[in-house]
Amino acid sequence: MAEVITPRIEALRAHVREAAGDLRTIGLELDRDPTAIDRWLHLPAVDIMRSCTVPAEYLTNPLRIGGETYDIRSCLEHAVTIEELSYGDAGFMLACPGPLMSGAAVDALGDDKQRHAYYQRLARPEPTWTFFGLTEPAKGSAATELETALVPDGDGFRLTGQKRYVGNAAFAQLGVVFCRRAPGPLGIEAVLLDTDSPGFHAELIETVGLRGARISAIRFQDVRVERSQILGYESLKPSRRGLVGAIRTLQRFRPVLAGTALGLSRAVLDHVRTERPRLSRVARLRLEAAQDRLAAARARNYQVAAAIDAGQVRLDRIAGVKTRAAELAEQSTLLAADLLGPAALLEDPLLDKLYRDARAFEFMEGTGHIQRLAVFQGVLKGTFLDQPEN
Amino acid sequence: MTRPADTLLDPALFAAELDACHEQAAPGGLVASRSRWVLASRQRTGGGRPVPGGPSGLVAVQHDTPGGERELDVFAGRLLHLHRRAVRAVLDGALARLDQRVSEGATLLNRQLVRGVVADTALALAEAADLLDLPGATAQRRWRIHRDLRAAGRAVIKLHGAAGFQAAGPGRLLHLAELLGNTYLHPGPDGSSVGAADGSSVGSEALDG
Repeated sequence: MAEVITPRIEALRAHVREAAGDLRTIGLELDRDPTAIDRWLHLPAVDIMRSCTVPAEYLTNPLRIGGETYDIRSCLEHAVTIEELSYGDAGFMLACPGPLMSGAAVDALGDDKQRHAYYQRLARPEPTWTFFGLTEPAKGSAATELETALVPDGDGFRLTGQKRYVGNAAFAQLGVVFCRRAPGPLGIEAVLLDTDSPGFHAELIETVGLRGARISAIRFQDVRVERSQILGYESLKPSRRGLVGAIRTLQRFRPVLAGTALGLSRAVLDHVRTERPRLSRVARLRLEAAQDRLAAARARNYQVAAAIDAGQVRLDRIAGVKTRAAELAEQSTLLAADLLGPAALLEDPLLDKLYRDARAFEFMEGTGHIQRLAVFQGVLKGTFLDQPEN
Repeated sequence: MTRPADTLLDPALFAAELDACHEQAAPGGLVASRSRWVLASRQRTGGGRPVPGGPSGLVAVQHDTPGGERELDVFAGRLLHLHRRAVRAVLDGALARLDQRVSEGATLLNRQLVRGVVADTALALAEAADLLDLPGATAQRRWRIHRDLRAAGRAVIKLHGAAGFQAAGPGRLLHLAELLGNTYLHPGPDGSSVGAADGSSVGSEALDG
C-alpha cells in the first residue's frame, strides 16, 4: 500500500499523542462516574475534540502545529486524531463536547444558514455536547425503517418517538434526529434539535463498558419542530435529504470508529508488553501475531480514510476496515486477559476497563453482520479484493 | 434443582447460582482460586469489593490461601456448567428477540447470517456438554472449555446488537462468566501452556492463529 501518512499528519499525531498522555487515569474515573468529564474540560485533549471538524473560520484559536492549521475535517486526519486519543482513553474521547457525528450530518445536509448557526454555536466559549440520533428500539440502525414520526402541525411539525443507544444524548445541548415525515425512503428527514425543547426526554443507559460514551435513550413527546430545523429542507430535494445524510455520516465516520478501536487495541497490547516484558515463547508469538494484525489494520484504515478524502467512497472497504478493527479490539483484549495471568481482570484496572470497552465497537455505526453484507457485495462486484491497491 | 437458563439474567439469581457452586464444592464455605480470590454473593462472603462490571450484590474477596485441590476441581466443574447455561441464556434470548424483530417483511431469524450464528452456538454448547461429561477432567481441559464457551458467547451476544452491551442484560451475564473463568480457571502464568501442548486447542478468538 502507498504511504499516506505525510509529515503534516505525523506532526498532528505527535501533538495529539502528547495531549492524550494523561487520559488513562481519568478514563478510569469516567468509567465509575460518566459525569466526571465536567472536571476535566480544561485539558488539551478536550480542546482538540471541541474544535475537531469545526471549520477554522469559526474558531478564535484553531489548532496550529508548526505553522500549519488543522481543522481535522480530513477523514484521514480525523481517524489519526481519534486513534491517538483512544490510545489514551476511548471513553474520555467520546465524553468530550464537540461536533462528533452530528457535525458530519449537518455538513452533509444543512444549508449555509443551518451550517453557520450550528458551527457558531459549537464555537462558543461554553462547551456544547451533541448527539446523533438514528438507532431505534424496534429497528436498530436500519435507517430506511425508522419509525420516529415528524407530523405536520400548523406551519411546522411535531416529533414523536424514541431513539436508543445514542451517545451523550442525556447530557447534550443539541443533536440531529432522523425521523419519518412520510412513508418510504424519501420520507426520511434529519432534524436539528435543542435538548431543552419541551417534550424532549433523555436518560443514561447503564452499559457493560465504554461508559464515557454516555449511551442514552431518548423519548420525543410532541416536540415542536420548525421547518428551519429540518436539514436541507429549503435547499435539497427530498431524495437528497434525510437518508442520504445518515448514510454519508456513517460512511465518513466508520474509519474514525475504526481508529477508536485500533487505538484501544494498541493500548491493550502495549500494556501487555509493559506488564510482561518476559513472556514465554508461545505467548510472545501470540502477541506478535496480534501486533502484526494491528499494524496491517492501521495501514488499511489510513488508506480507506485517504480514499474518502480523495472522493473515493468505497463502501465495501469502509465496511471491511470497520468490522476488522472492531474484531481486533475484542481479540486483543481477550489475548491480554490470557497473557496477563490468572485474575488479571480483577487485579488490573486498566485491563478490566479496556476488556469491557472493546465490546462496544461491534455494534457502533453498524453491526458486523451489516458490514459483512457490504463486503460480500464488494466481492461480487470485484471491488473488494480485485481492485488494484493504491 | 437447576433453574431455567434465562433466570440467570437476574443478578440476584446469578449470584445465588454462583453461591450454589461454592456450596457444592465447600459446604457452608467459600472456594478461593489459586490466585486466592473468592467471587460470591455479598451475603455469602459477608463483605468484599464489588466485582468490576458486575452487580452490587456480587463481590470479590482475597483469602490468605487458595482452596484445596478437590474443592477447586468440583468448583471448576460447576463453574463451567454455569458458564454453559449463561451462553444458553444469551442464545435463547437472541432467538426470542429476533423472532419479534421484523425487517423487510420477515423476522430477523430468517437471515442466513443469523441462522449460522445460532447453529454455531448450539454446536459449541453441545460440544461443551460432551466435553464436560468426559472422565478425567484436567485444568487444561477446563480452560479450553472455558475459552470455547467464551468464544461462543462473544459470537452469540452480537445477535443482541447494542442491547447486548446494556448492563441490565445478557452482556453483563457473559462478562461475569468470563471474569469467573479468568479468575478460577486460568492455568497461569500467561495461559500459553494450554494449546501449545496439543497444538489444536488454541482457537482463533484470541488471535492465536
